Amino acid sequence: MNCKICSKLLQEYLENSISEELISELNTHLKECRRCRIFFRTYSLTVTLSQRIETPCCVSSEKIKELTSLLHERLFPK
Amino acid sequence: MSKQSEKLSDAALVTEIKHGDAEAMEEIVRRFSNKVYNLAFHLTRDASAAEEIMQEVFLTVLSKIHTLTNEAYFATWLYRVTTNASYGFLRKEKKFTEQTLIDDTNSEHSAVYDWSTLPDDVLLSEESSEVLRTAIDTLPDTMRTVVIMKDVEGLKNEDIAQTLGLTVPAVKSRLHRGRLVLREILSDYFRKYSDPSGDNV
Ligand SMILES: [Zn+2]
Repeated sequence: MNCKICSKLLQEYLENSISEELISELNTHLKECRRCRIFFRTYSLTVTLSQRIETPCCVSSEKIKELTSLLHERLFPK
Repeated sequence: MSKQSEKLSDAALVTEIKHGDAEAMEEIVRRFSNKVYNLAFHLTRDASAAEEIMQEVFLTVLSKIHTLTNEAYFATWLYRVTTNASYGFLRKEKKFTEQTLIDDTNSEHSAVYDWSTLPDDVLLSEESSEVLRTAIDTLPDTMRTVVIMKDVEGLKNEDIAQTLGLTVPAVKSRLHRGRLVLREILSDYFRKYSDPSGDNV
């Protein structure tokens, strides 16, 4: 395992799509290589921070009512 | 409201709508309205636009529901119409960024500052969250959409590929490059918290 392969595997690692064997090779490299370790941690944390971005929730119930009645009119006219 | 429609799969609901079932239509709206709204909101960063887009998307898609031959593609079709409507809004507002070339040649391993060890109140501050949101806004459009769909909204690579008409490897590569850019921007931002005495490992 070298640094180049290590950084390529990172994304697949986060997708849980690499083998146990590769994971242990990756871990061995991360223990030895400070640059990759930092890269790995900050890359993963970037993903985590994006996952925590919030939406100022949600569609208002008035909007849903308005939409539903519009849909009734157009799709299921009496 | 019948419990029946709540149990049906998305595809089964679509079939029911095609057969003129109004309850199935209401269930689809319940199931997807916030998803469509969230995606439109993150793409446009405009709450009232996101509501309008949400309404427009359902009206468009459900009035053309008979043209959908494979019911299993309903969700990705909905997302595709949503991204297109959001792009349309941004274009009108002149916020549509043309594809900018991103220089990621040195972003793979440039910074060795380990900001992952910073305390949560720094990492999760309102300010850092704003930095990240603004950084996402600056990504080229397809890359930004992929990052929003995958990391912010938690959709699957396959669904994103289907929505955007890309291959899965193309989605992954845009995602990776987008994350690298965001990581760089966050590294620059968090650097002000680094220990001036040097080694923070
Ligand atoms: Zn390394």
